[in-house]
Amino acid sequence: MRLTDPDLRHALAASYVLGTLRGPARRRFARAVQADPGLARLVTRWEDYLTPLAENVAPVAPPARLWPSIEARLGHARTPRPAGLWGNVSFWRWLGTGFATAAIALLAVTFGLRGPPPADAPALVAVLSTPEQAPRMVIEESRGVLKVRVTAPWPPSATQDHELWVVPREGAPRSLGVVPLAGEAQLRPAQLERLLEGGIAFAVSLEPRGGSPTGAPTGAILCSGPIARSKRA
Amino acid sequence: MSAGAPEADDLARLLERVSLGERAAFAELYRATSAKLFAVSLRIVRERQLAEEVLQDSYVAIWNHAAEYSRAKSAPGTWMAAIVRNRSLDLLRRGSREVEDVDEVLAGRLVDEGAAPAADLERRAGEHAVRECLGELEPDQRQSIALAFYHGLSHSELAGHLRRPLGTVKTHIRRGLARLRECLERTGAVER
Repeated sequence: MRLTDPDLRHALAASYVLGTLRGPARRRFARAVQADPGLARLVTRWEDYLTPLAENVAPVAPPARLWPSIEARLGHARTPRPAGLWGNVSFWRWLGTGFATAAIALLAVTFGLRGPPPADAPALVAVLSTPEQAPRMVIEESRGVLKVRVTAPWPPSATQDHELWVVPREGAPRSLGVVPLAGEAQLRPAQLERLLEGGIAFAVSLEPRGGSPTGAPTGAILCSGPIARSKRA
Repeated sequence: MSAGAPEADDLARLLERVSLGERAAFAELYRATSAKLFAVSLRIVRERQLAEEVLQDSYVAIWNHAAEYSRAKSAPGTWMAAIVRNRSLDLLRRGSREVEDVDEVLAGRLVDEGAAPAADLERRAGEHAVRECLGELEPDQRQSIALAFYHGLSHSELAGHLRRPLGTVKTHIRRGLARLRECLERTGAVER
């Protein structure tokens, strides 16, 4: 498509930039712009005419999770992508080391920095966050009971379950059982202490109803977080 | 981009560093511009989730195309806002709001006219020129253009919103834009 009439070229460029050129006509025009540098310059000119109006718009802060997603899409992220990570070495390195500061802060808050912890204080705690760093779940272990609290619930699902894993420094993740998508639960897996031994992090994976059919995580990691232990633990 | 926001020169310098692949500069650019650009998109697409999608796509595009940004052509805020506006409008046409809503007068002429494109002179519009020139329009024209610009309203949505016949709205927009251009060229912001 070639457009020669200067007024028509202006009118089309203007309505394209204004946004009133819609549907197939918008697509046709966009194709014409690709092939016609003069028309492209005209669009730029109309952008210069009209876009300064956008300065009047009152700012609205985007959600905090957006920036990590942008970084992830550009491959800049220190955080992993949500799927296919179970075999990824750098993911485990990230889990093991990346959260030192958060873990220390968590310990300070949970156990207090002064004095011995009370007898009923949890032996370990973890805050699990999504790959975008949004906290979703808090886990505490005390006297063989694992308390799981979902702080930001997932929508209910009829076909899938969430399974909790403890990730040891070496070797495969160990299942701690299925956890709820909302609310709280207390898990009492047999030999919890041995399961948690050497564990550096918790992670929750998306699994078919009833949990992983293989005994190893099969779905995407929904959230994860490092384990912070009290001195007693 | 506005009062309290970084100056155009600061943004241009950031974009220059971004074009060299400097991630820290990109993070700074995001901090300086994301709230404004999110608001621009949110008004057009009207759903937070869509606006988030637009913003992600836009910053990925800004990172990838920063080297193509030229200070001589556009103000940096304008360049980025145009990316966000285009993506927002593109998203609208993908969704349920898709309508073949082109002004028929223009559509009838959207045909191959067969000759070489005319060259355009490059000259940047003065920063406040557009607002001054909008002030010269008739109130109906000004209102229609502002609603279309800020809220991404189509001709038929404008007609519903303003309780005016569709044809009247289209005329307001078309004449308003033509007068806007006359004014901008007359005030020396741009030459033909």
